[in-house]
Amino acid sequence: MTAFPALLAAQSALEPGGGNASRILRLGQGVVLLLAVIFIAVMILSVIPLMRRHRGIEQEPLERRHQPSEATERKLTMVVGSAVGATVVILLGLVVVSVVVGKSISTAAMPSNAITVEVTGNQWWWNVRYMNNDASKIVVTANELHIPVGRPVVIRGMSNDVIHSFWVPGLQGKRDLIPSRVNTEWIQADRAGFFRGQCAEFCGLQHAHMAMWVVAEPEDKFDAWLSHQAQDAAAPSTEELQRGQQVFLGSACILCHHIQGTDAGGLVGPDLTHFGSRMTIAAGTLANDKGNLAGWIADPQGIKPGTKMATVPVKSEDMQPLIDYLESLQ
Amino acid sequence: MTDSLGAKLHRRGTMAIPNTIAAAAALFCFAGILLPQIQNEADDGQWTMAAKNPASTRYSALSQITTANAKNLKLAWTFSTGLTKGHEAAPLVVNNTMYIVTPWPNILYALDLTNPGATKWTYSPHPSASSQGTACCDVVNRGAVYYKGKIFYNTLDNYTVAVDATTGKQVWKTLMGDINKGESMTMAPIVAGGKVIVGNSGGEFGVHGWMAGLETETGKITWRAYATGPDSQVLIGPDFKPFYAKDRGKDLGVKTWQGDQWKIGGGSGWSWISYDPDLDLIYYGTSNPGPWNADMRPGDNKWTCTLFARKPETGQAVWAYQINPHDNHDYDGVNENILLDLTIHGQVRKVLAHPDRNGRMYLMDRTTGEVLSAEAFAYVNTSDSVDLKTGRLHETDAKKTGFKTVRDICPAPPGGKDWQPSSFSPRTGLIYIPHNNLCAEMSGTPANYIAGTPYVGSDVRMYPGPGGNRGALTAWDPVAAKPVWSVKEMFPAWSGTVVTAGDVVFYGTMDGWFKALDAHNGNLLWKFKVGSGVIGQPISYKGPDGKQYVAVLAGVGGWSGAIVSGGLNAADGTAALGFVNAMADLPKYTTTGGMLYVFSLP
Amino acid sequence: MSSRYLRVAGVFFSLLGVACQREERDLRPAPTRLAMPGPAARESLLQPGGPQETLTPVNPAEGNGYAISEGQRLFNAYNCSGCHSHGGGGIGPPLIKDVWIYGNDPAVLFDTIVKGRPNGMPSWGGRLPEYEIWQIVAYIRSLNNLEPKSVTPTRSDSIEQNSHTLTPPPEPKPQ
Repeated sequence: MTAFPALLAAQSALEPGGGNASRILRLGQGVVLLLAVIFIAVMILSVIPLMRRHRGIEQEPLERRHQPSEATERKLTMVVGSAVGATVVILLGLVVVSVVVGKSISTAAMPSNAITVEVTGNQWWWNVRYMNNDASKIVVTANELHIPVGRPVVIRGMSNDVIHSFWVPGLQGKRDLIPSRVNTEWIQADRAGFFRGQCAEFCGLQHAHMAMWVVAEPEDKFDAWLSHQAQDAAAPSTEELQRGQQVFLGSACILCHHIQGTDAGGLVGPDLTHFGSRMTIAAGTLANDKGNLAGWIADPQGIKPGTKMATVPVKSEDMQPLIDYLESLQ
Repeated sequence: MTDSLGAKLHRRGTMAIPNTIAAAAALFCFAGILLPQIQNEADDGQWTMAAKNPASTRYSALSQITTANAKNLKLAWTFSTGLTKGHEAAPLVVNNTMYIVTPWPNILYALDLTNPGATKWTYSPHPSASSQGTACCDVVNRGAVYYKGKIFYNTLDNYTVAVDATTGKQVWKTLMGDINKGESMTMAPIVAGGKVIVGNSGGEFGVHGWMAGLETETGKITWRAYATGPDSQVLIGPDFKPFYAKDRGKDLGVKTWQGDQWKIGGGSGWSWISYDPDLDLIYYGTSNPGPWNADMRPGDNKWTCTLFARKPETGQAVWAYQINPHDNHDYDGVNENILLDLTIHGQVRKVLAHPDRNGRMYLMDRTTGEVLSAEAFAYVNTSDSVDLKTGRLHETDAKKTGFKTVRDICPAPPGGKDWQPSSFSPRTGLIYIPHNNLCAEMSGTPANYIAGTPYVGSDVRMYPGPGGNRGALTAWDPVAAKPVWSVKEMFPAWSGTVVTAGDVVFYGTMDGWFKALDAHNGNLLWKFKVGSGVIGQPISYKGPDGKQYVAVLAGVGGWSGAIVSGGLNAADGTAALGFVNAMADLPKYTTTGGMLYVFSLP
Repeated sequence: MSSRYLRVAGVFFSLLGVACQREERDLRPAPTRLAMPGPAARESLLQPGGPQETLTPVNPAEGNGYAISEGQRLFNAYNCSGCHSHGGGGIGPPLIKDVWIYGNDPAVLFDTIVKGRPNGMPSWGGRLPEYEIWQIVAYIRSLNNLEPKSVTPTRSDSIEQNSHTLTPPPEPKPQ
């Protein structure tokens, strides 16, 4: 099994991997701290009177109409007035601070050397396309986002079916992906590492199994990865792999999946050109290894009930060549 | 005649050719040179190719039918094809025989003109019935070509056939494409440089578009030039000199596409080819890129929506001009190129006039590929202008399509004008453009590529453009780059036009009227109600009795008439790629049925 | 007064009963088979010697809302809509209509998809699993109001809601 990075650390807004997430975290911490102080102060202030004996019970017998003294009136006005004032100031302050932080992580504040990645939500997986003004350098992959450390990445979020939400807690806040609209945000990782992302808007049966991994790696490693992903799929090198390719091309697979460099041209499922190089299958549901892949192909509905991956019968003698071939697509 | 005509043209100031050249007419006509007067002299009353001549002027020098007597036109004889699909072909007339190609099953009829209506012979190529599933816009055929005793034409299932014009026996038959890749063939071939030149259809099926040259004697494929892919496949070599910097570079047919999308990027050559024997160049345009959803194929998508000039013997490209880079609206570049010699700014220029789907009339130097003017002949809001310095089309950002819904796109996907060919009269100096007036809304959807099935990714609904008339016939002055007159039509003017030396323009309408207009002012001279909507190409020829005849195939269908020929349901406006939305009332005006109509003066 | 409360309570509980019914989603069709061209389906009413009882397969997707919405998705994903649009037709014939060339029985529609038809309909046999074809069949029938209203998906925006363009359910066949 491919080493799955520790889930808790990988999908946590408390362990930011970049400036944007840090700002969100600091904002969160600040707000929590301030509100905690206020909460404690209010609690103390409300507990104190309970502890104190009420002098008024002896001095001022309860009447039908209670007329507080002028001094009490003044005191109360001052207390309530300053409490209201403090609330307004604090709320305003919080609004100002969150707007400032919001602006600082918005695409307007993004450095100019960004790379653009188009992320399209589908039930229930992510299509990822690395854009480039030179169209021939565009790279398509799925459910896995590689980004260079220290370089901003613009996410152009779209959706093909229902509303999804792109959320990699370690890197940035949520951004809804809405059909027929483009919503953008930018992420930047300041350290290498793995970050787990998760659809954050309920999108149907397998919403919970709609995850993605973001791999932040040094720029040279990223460049190597990107230029490799732009290549055609590896041609099958052995007879067994050739048979696997024949199985793939001769079955229902090609109706939905694309393998660049072959006749498989389907575009409604994830691109499989470099399938073997990915960490997971079924949008972060399973580690990408041969056993899981065989199970996934044989019974996708058993693993991810409701998935749009069709249950396509594969003859038992065809299964091994098929998964060998798919895993060879490094 | 020559003198008075020459003087007249001179006075109008539109014609380039000095009278002295006219004297050499007989000499040049042999080579089929493209000087309009010369061609005028050379007309033998035959019609040997769909566009009448390699310059594609569709001008008949016959002058018996005039503006004065056109009102007396009478039906001479008819011939039924017995088919109910769209009839787009031009009949041919050679040696007192008329040849008609029908839509699928692509039967070739030879009719004896000395005994009107009698069938000399019939040739049936028996194209596969399944090929009907790969024809985007009805199972039409746009005609045949005659050359040295043979008739050449294409069948829907991708065969180019040569048939002996006298006996009707098949000489050869060459398989050119594969229906399981979505390919079909509907275009009318031409013969140039001793080669039959044919192209495939299937821009809506993700085909790898091509144009090919075959030996006329054997049917052997000499060359095949793809529209996309590396230069070696596009046949771009050392002779390739595009006029504009934007069209220069190595392997642009690969580099302007994402991944391997160029392999299924369309760019088919499904329509017209013109030929200039002097320059020895053929001219044609390539179709739209696939899929329609532009967001799915970033880049300029070369060489789709591109005009090519190639050597007919080798297929090598000499220049190319991409009209609509990264096409957003299905604006194929396939429309006819009329080759003319005109005086532009006091200089005689060898030009081609290309009324594009994007609604602009491109006047280009056909030697170099320079754009001289590109004014709109239809209502256009998808582009502002063409930069004559860079050759770049300035598109309107708000009308760019993709994964979104864009409304009020004018012209709609069938363009300011679709395949329906224009004609040019050297007597008036005008181009007679049958065209559309349609707008549309387009909504991008994820396209899926499955070989042999449509690859579009767009829900379209069309509707009439400004004014409410869905079509028009416009007379266009190519030198001044502006319209002279225009006649509105209720439905898209989906038939070709022909103009004669009697200054009469003939065309048909989808509601079944065959009309004769005065070429000078568009006044209606005569009309005749035929049995079905006309989407064919009228021709004019001299019969064995010496009389001038006008012939046209009626039989509604095609993309625009699919609602009638395919019995489509107008409840779904997106039917037939959205054309049905604009044509819901057509079934009230016409029914199907292919019939040849031949008219003459009594 | 109390009868009124009873009535309200009755309505409430019967509504609750409706709420309890949940549609069965058959997510794991077993056993899955690739649809292959099989024995002939009857497409003619003319049966020499008089009509015979015919065993026609039952569409497992019949009347199932989830299956029909899956059929709608597949109809677009497999490019059926490329030729048939959203039911109005284009390259292929319309699928919202009164007169069907081969009839509109589920078994016949299944056959049409698996075997193809001679004038351009591709043969999908060997490419698609059977359950997906049944889902598409049910969707096509739902376009013609041949499936219960409660399981018919919302129409595509492109289709006008004119009642005259949508066909009513056919007359039951004489037994």
